[in-house]
Amino acid sequence: MKPHDAQPDRRNFLQHSLLGTAGAGMALASTSHVTVAAETQGEESPDATITNRVDVLVVGGGTAGTIAAIQAGRAGAKTMLVERGSQLGGTMTTGGVAFPGLFDAWGKQVIAGIGWELVRESVELDGGQLPNFAKVPQRHWQNQVYTNQFLYAILAEEKCHEAGVELAYYEFPQAAKRVADGWQVDCVGFGTQRRILCKQIIDCTGGAEVVGMLGFDRLREEVRQPGSMLFKIGEEHQPGREQVHRLYVHGADSSNSRTVTQANLTGRRSVLAKVRAEKKRLMHLQPETGFRESYRIVGETMVTVNDYTSGRQFDDAISNAFYPVDLHTKTGVRPKPLKPGTVPTIPLGALIPKGSRDLIVAGRCLCSDQLANSGLRVQASCMGMGQAAGVAASLAAQTGTTPMEVPLAEIHKVLREHGAIIPGKA
Amino acid sequence: MRRSFVSLMTAMTFLVIAVTGVLAFVRPFSMTIVGLHALMGFVFIGVVGFHLANNLRPLKRYLRSKWMWINLAVTAALTTAIALQPQPVKALLGLSGNLGPALDRFELHDEGLTYQYTPAPHYKLTLSVRMGDAFDPADPPEFAIWIENSSFYHIKTLHRPEAADNEASLPYWSFKVKEYEKAKLAAAAGVDVDAISGATKNSSFDPADYMLPVDPEEPMPYRILVEINQPGDASEAVDDQPSLIYSVEVDNSDPHAFQLLDLIGYPQLEEDEQPPQWAIYYVDQRFDSALELIDSALLTIDRDKPAD
Repeated sequence: MKPHDAQPDRRNFLQHSLLGTAGAGMALASTSHVTVAAETQGEESPDATITNRVDVLVVGGGTAGTIAAIQAGRAGAKTMLVERGSQLGGTMTTGGVAFPGLFDAWGKQVIAGIGWELVRESVELDGGQLPNFAKVPQRHWQNQVYTNQFLYAILAEEKCHEAGVELAYYEFPQAAKRVADGWQVDCVGFGTQRRILCKQIIDCTGGAEVVGMLGFDRLREEVRQPGSMLFKIGEEHQPGREQVHRLYVHGADSSNSRTVTQANLTGRRSVLAKVRAEKKRLMHLQPETGFRESYRIVGETMVTVNDYTSGRQFDDAISNAFYPVDLHTKTGVRPKPLKPGTVPTIPLGALIPKGSRDLIVAGRCLCSDQLANSGLRVQASCMGMGQAAGVAASLAAQTGTTPMEVPLAEIHKVLREHGAIIPGKA
Repeated sequence: MRRSFVSLMTAMTFLVIAVTGVLAFVRPFSMTIVGLHALMGFVFIGVVGFHLANNLRPLKRYLRSKWMWINLAVTAALTTAIALQPQPVKALLGLSGNLGPALDRFELHDEGLTYQYTPAPHYKLTLSVRMGDAFDPADPPEFAIWIENSSFYHIKTLHRPEAADNEASLPYWSFKVKEYEKAKLAAAAGVDVDAISGATKNSSFDPADYMLPVDPEEPMPYRILVEINQPGDASEAVDDQPSLIYSVEVDNSDPHAFQLLDLIGYPQLEEDEQPPQWAIYYVDQRFDSALELIDSALLTIDRDKPAD
């Protein structure tokens, strides 16, 4: 990989990574298989400084960011995805909430597109079972899709590569500023300094971290919902077949590395105490707390709980959402189901930080009040938002405008071409 | 015992029983009045025993007279008539201000049907089902009304169908009742029934826990369901349209006076499950007239402040 403008050629990448090009990369070996991680990087300085020029930069490779990046890449934008962790999928894979929902409402599918494609393929490859959306679930979560989190992460990578998305793991933005033709975002990782020059940024960090870095207003609740630490004791965990156990991590805060560290320590301590108390074997533990909420943007449009529960059809609706109002508190949660027939929508304006240009968010940090957010934050909705943000940003990059000014009909057209369900047309 | 004391005691206790009996009929249900009436009844029975002992001779004379038999016949006739509650007696009882701790009334009329349930004087529930174009009062559909907890467990059947064989016409309700019986037995045997555990504490089988929570800080939501079916009603697609389920959730922590029931689907047996289970599916193109059985179903709950 060249140190400058290092956009991988898709064909070469696949050949190198899948066929196992000889080289002195980080080889992982077992007794029978040897896989070469990548082309040699031996000549690079251990603290390489790299510059990338892309159309769309997606920050955060979680639920929404993965889909946003794949969509931007498929729409023809030169796309880069920066992820602070080691894999794609975020809450679903690293957090272990591998039962995404909800793609259906009232007997029909309301969210599809790239997120559904990934989930469906993960289930099919794993020999799992998709829920029957025609059946009325006794509980809302029964139509969540049990997904193998490990397969999902790898499939997501494959789809990124196929879409020409460059991935940068273990990196996160340190500074961002406006430059003549877009943004300059400086990222840091261990042994890596990366400068990214891009036309559009999609902030999928969950806490609108880039939005905050750029000085736009954000919202945050005094008391946030607890996070969940997922584990299994006593019996073997079967990915893609069942949910794992979970315990609340109160005070879980994903705002920065210090608070994330604290949440993980607290969660693991609780699991250890449980193992000791129940005298059972620990069979599975996710590496990170699944966080529910953090910062949300102050957007051009705020989705209120009334908008959400009434299923308001926003004029600039770009995707559907579906889940009960699901506010977790210290004492537990009592989901408040939506009224039959109600399918909330997500407006483009809720993804645009107020007063910004060339910047869009997707995922749980969209502009919404806490109660609306408790329903909007779930994975299928985040995937729908991610795909819409990917389309809006790629079209804006192509036409030299900003996502909010891209004609809605154009966004809908591209979304439809990529399998998404347009609100009101499910 | 002294004759004058016993006679006066008999009269006094009778007076209390008579007054509390009338009060119990005209006034809303009160544990004080009903308690007084019942317990004073026991005292009365004891005193009457002494009274009989003091008046054994004239009583024997009465027993030998023809009035004894006339009296017996009239009493038996009145007891039977009141116990069976034909319409005039029902109407008379309906005048009572005391709807009891769990009195229910069902009425089928030209506009549909009305069901009233009053688990407590301060909590009056009325379900008014307005008939649709396919509802024939002369040949009314089969239906059941029941409540479930938030884990979707049958807790109490409020109104059961007239037909003896309702497993075919109302399979979902029948299944729910059977599940309930099984779970109750399991709970009695101390088995942990996972199906009734949930995010909320609702493993109780007592409807009062849901409708009239002891702790108002922790009211538990419950839902009311109606399963309705007109057996043998064909549509273009099927010879007999399945029953339909309507439902509404009641949450006493977020009280509403009026709530409409929503059509949630039709039951279908899932043979793949072991044992086979009934599940609800969203309605499809096979339905036509079944959707016209009910025009609307309105639940009204009057929640007066409970008396301290």
